[in-house]
Amino acid sequence: MATLATPLSKKRQEAPAVRAFRATPFTYGTLLIVAAILTTPLVFVGSIALSSDATVNAGSYTVIPREFHWDNFSRVFGTELPVGTFLLNSVLISLFSVVGQVLSSGLVGYAFARLRAPGKNTMFLVVIATMMIPTQITMIPQFILFRDLGWVNTFLPLIVPNFFSNAFNVFLVRQFVSRLPSQLDEAAMMDGLGFFGIYRRIMFPMLRPVLIAIGIFTLTHTWGDFMGPLIYLNDESKMPLALGVQYITATSQAGQAPPWNLVMVGSILLAVPMIIVYYLGQKYLYEMDISGGSAGVK
Amino acid sequence: MATTTAPTPPPEAPAATKSPTAPKKPKLSKRRRREALSFYLFVSPWVIGFLVFLLGPMIASIYYSLTDWDSFTPPQWVGFQNYVTLLTDDPVFWKALWNTLFYAAVSVPLGLVLGLWLANLLNKQVRARKLLRTLIYLPTLIPLVATAMIFRMVLAPSGPLNDFLGLFGVSGPNWLYDGPWVKPALILMSTWGAGAATVLLLAAMKGIPRELYEAAEVDGASAMRQFWSITLPHLTPIIFFNLIMGLIGAFQVFSQVYILVSKGKNPAGYDAAQTMVPFLFDQAFSYYHMGYASAISWLLFLVILVFTVIAFRTTRRWVFYETEVK
Repeated sequence: MATLATPLSKKRQEAPAVRAFRATPFTYGTLLIVAAILTTPLVFVGSIALSSDATVNAGSYTVIPREFHWDNFSRVFGTELPVGTFLLNSVLISLFSVVGQVLSSGLVGYAFARLRAPGKNTMFLVVIATMMIPTQITMIPQFILFRDLGWVNTFLPLIVPNFFSNAFNVFLVRQFVSRLPSQLDEAAMMDGLGFFGIYRRIMFPMLRPVLIAIGIFTLTHTWGDFMGPLIYLNDESKMPLALGVQYITATSQAGQAPPWNLVMVGSILLAVPMIIVYYLGQKYLYEMDISGGSAGVK
Repeated sequence: MATTTAPTPPPEAPAATKSPTAPKKPKLSKRRRREALSFYLFVSPWVIGFLVFLLGPMIASIYYSLTDWDSFTPPQWVGFQNYVTLLTDDPVFWKALWNTLFYAAVSVPLGLVLGLWLANLLNKQVRARKLLRTLIYLPTLIPLVATAMIFRMVLAPSGPLNDFLGLFGVSGPNWLYDGPWVKPALILMSTWGAGAATVLLLAAMKGIPRELYEAAEVDGASAMRQFWSITLPHLTPIIFFNLIMGLIGAFQVFSQVYILVSKGKNPAGYDAAQTMVPFLFDQAFSYYHMGYASAISWLLFLVILVFTVIAFRTTRRWVFYETEVK
């Protein structure tokens, strides 16, 4: 037996024993071509962003950049376009939304996982059920509500609902807390901590991974949200970057092409923070996936 | 040492828990009541959010959908007139529904097939796998608005896509302005995000027991055969679940349609590629047909509901499947 096993395992080390996992030149060729095709639009964006106004107006930019007008990146923060304001608005809206979602979903999720109360299971079923409701159903009545409150053209309609948690995030926190040992909060209760004390002192620090994941989900969603700002914000000075970039292209004077180089700089400013956030937070997102928290999407 | 310290805590612990349970029953229920009170307090953000931002609006939406209302003057009760008009007398609605179905039915399976194909390639023992995976996944991290902006340039008549087609002697169409090409253009743009399915399926492939492949190898199965007989059957539940979730997402497509084929600047494209949510949005926020738009939202919900029910059914099957394997 032993003599048989050794040559086999040695052979496996030398070359992949299983044909399904053997990489052929065809494998490499296909992957390289696909990667090149998928990357081309990104290189192209960079190229346009670095083009001069004349090149853009003539439409003579190329996929591989031929000129490098790095000043386009500082120009967008000048007086030509309010990209700086857009960016600031994006940061403000996203920041408050993340804070609201993390604070509320953490607390609600903890309660659903640990505290006992009559009607809890029914309520949790409702939480799950609400995940099935598409946002389009509530879009119009919510608009009427916020308009009657006088919140149109403010950030409030985009921020405030986040302070009331969200079914998916509550679900994530509940799953996460369920897997934590309950001895810790029992011990804390023995020490005389109340339920809120347990949450704040014991649970909240332990929820870090799931709360960071929720923060990233909320951030990417709010940062990229287009429809919400489109409904509620009319003033150019109030727009976040996702809407602002589109607004620039939609309102350029008739017969005049939008300043595509600056629009692409705006698009890059819109995209780069999300790429950075993803790579910084990747391990938390991955952890959520592995622990099965992603509601079966795994 | 061990024998003296170990037995001491257990007698204490039961004593501590037993005394409140057995003799002082009212005290426990008081604690329970305090716990329940804390629960209601802690979940109150969700309860308020549910009532104010979901249940209330849903009920309001049902009512609006039965009225003719511009949101400024008092609503006029019209019964089911909005629904009747939509279903029998509004060609735009049917066109939008057809466009949405077409977009969903092509883009979602296409993305999954591409994702499966790429994941299978990345699952092989390739060098620089991490780099390749990153490059394939990168487009999915770009916010949709930025993606739409990028594709406005990529799909331009003299953009890189048509340049590329030109290499093969094909003169590409004016993708976003040429009626029949607008939907393919939107689908093309959606395939740029195939990396999402790739990474998901790649992670699932890593979970397939290697012994199965080794056994197949001993039996002389080819790489292709191993894919069809081992990899694919293990992934079907996940693929199916993601197909349904993808379809639900595709039904709600908005930003890319709104940005790429705006009504004002691109009427031909708008005609050819109008989908449900932009149609709803237009009715509500351009024409202030709030009642009519609400009715559209409920019809959209109905379509989505069918798929959601299927998705939930399959999740159960999926969960069952996973435990079976383990």
